[in-house]
Amino acid sequence: MELFLQQLISGISIGAIYSLLAVGYALVYSVYNFTNWAFDAFMAFGAFMAFTAISSLFLPFWAAMIISIVLTILLSVGTEKLAYSTLRRRKAPRLFMMISAMGVNLAIVNLINKAFGGTFRKFPIEDVQPIFIGNISIGRMDLIAGLISFGVLGLLWLFLYRTKWGLGIRASAIDILSASLMGINNDAVAMLIFTTTGVLSSVAGVFYGIKYAVYPMMGIVTIKAMIASIVGGLGSLPAAIVGSMILGILETMVSGYISSSYRDLFSFLFLILILLFFPNGLMGKSGEEKL
Amino acid sequence: MGYINAIIILGGINIIAALGVAILTGYTGLFSIGHAGFMALGGYMSAILVKEFSVPFPIALLAGGFFAGLCSFIIGYPAFRSRLRGDYFAIATLGFSEAIRLLLNNTKMIGNINLGGAFGYMNIPSHTNVLVVVISLILALFFAHMFVTSQYGKNCIAVSQDEVAAQMMGVNLLKTKLTALFISAFYAGVAGGLLGFYFAYLSPSFFSITKSSDLLAAVVFGGIQSLIGPLITAFVLIAVPEFLRSLAEWRLIIYGCLFVVVMIFRPQGLFGYVEMNLNFVRVMWNKLFGRKTAKASEG
Repeated sequence: MELFLQQLISGISIGAIYSLLAVGYALVYSVYNFTNWAFDAFMAFGAFMAFTAISSLFLPFWAAMIISIVLTILLSVGTEKLAYSTLRRRKAPRLFMMISAMGVNLAIVNLINKAFGGTFRKFPIEDVQPIFIGNISIGRMDLIAGLISFGVLGLLWLFLYRTKWGLGIRASAIDILSASLMGINNDAVAMLIFTTTGVLSSVAGVFYGIKYAVYPMMGIVTIKAMIASIVGGLGSLPAAIVGSMILGILETMVSGYISSSYRDLFSFLFLILILLFFPNGLMGKSGEEKL
Repeated sequence: MGYINAIIILGGINIIAALGVAILTGYTGLFSIGHAGFMALGGYMSAILVKEFSVPFPIALLAGGFFAGLCSFIIGYPAFRSRLRGDYFAIATLGFSEAIRLLLNNTKMIGNINLGGAFGYMNIPSHTNVLVVVISLILALFFAHMFVTSQYGKNCIAVSQDEVAAQMMGVNLLKTKLTALFISAFYAGVAGGLLGFYFAYLSPSFFSITKSSDLLAAVVFGGIQSLIGPLITAFVLIAVPEFLRSLAEWRLIIYGCLFVVVMIFRPQGLFGYVEMNLNFVRVMWNKLFGRKTAKASEG
């Protein structure tokens, strides 16, 4: 029972990280209709920046976090300017956007690999005492990761649904051309979206790095976010979050009770089963993905 | 000489795998970043057949390809039936290939067969040489050409351009996509088999995501709806890093930047929409001799 509860809490915290990633993909997809493959590179970049800030510059965690977020935003917006904006203006098929994004991903991940080396690193943060409730020990970092991730998701919700800028993004998600006819600046929307993407990927990268390890290929975990959004149903942001939670919890259960080496295998089998029996995901309504 | 042979063999194997990706990505418009997984399946299967069951080499090679093709239905059927969007299909293939790699990494024994897990499957009989690769390559190219110019190939192109329109013209989407996926996995499986019989050794680490990115790179640079483009680039992408060893670490970084540059300046790829045919011979012939004969007949 203790093991179960411990795995449950750990699963919720990893599920929260998956939902940050899933939401980051959904945000770009909903407006530009392509999957931002560079996203997982941003995530690794964010984690490495925070890692360097702490291990080489000896900054406190919160300062490293801010540095990481700011640099990842710059990278994300820079990628948009260099790799996407010309294609976007030319109304290129989304296949081209996808390939371009894959190129950015390939370049950044291998650049990180070249600059830092491919080894697995422990995130340089002192081991804090786990909190004990009865016999259940809860990792303090698990708790913080979960809380901050939910906090970021909450802020994103407020941003999208309670501000004028968010309204602009939602309008562009429905129809980018009509939105621009209504006076919404497309370039400003792109800036906002890729800034948000930068924040999401940096936070997810840092907490994933704390939970597992920091290494150049860590972005491969974004497969899980994709699987999670298919599991939840490609319909809405809440579905992506629910799917992430389910996948995170099931995964930690598998690694706790069976074996951690079969964890990723399990996630993939789970995806196939979901596709076979719930082709639209657990909560999905249609194949179209909108905010 | 041995060195040149090695480049020809590895380049040829890469071309066979890239032709498979070209059929799937270039012609059908489906993205795969998991073809390394199919290569692994075909490679291990054909190696096991030859080593443990002493099946003749060519039959084992085809069986390996066939096995990879069958396994492709595991992801193909659910993904296409649920009309999974292209990007998510790419993710599914990536997940599939990673799952295969993990499975091979963690499987030491199947029955009495020692697969070696992460250490790799050793002592595979060595059968691949330049002749075998060249023959396989010619056959592969011939069948790929036949396929893409056939009705099935035209269906694939129709699906890649507009699914709804294709369906209205009576193209069965599920069947077309599954056929393309099967053939492309078959090619990858044969390529994996040739690789195993060349190195006399197979390790799960051969079939990482880097291998899949290389294959995708060959098709993206080579061009969409072209066989000759990916053929040339798949060979160049193997040969050039051999001669520029000092740049080896930069290879993937350069590929990545080239992806972006190609998409911005020449999105159809180097040989996009250029079909492989012998028309240029006729054109050359006409240029050289056509006018003279025409004049002669006039005169």
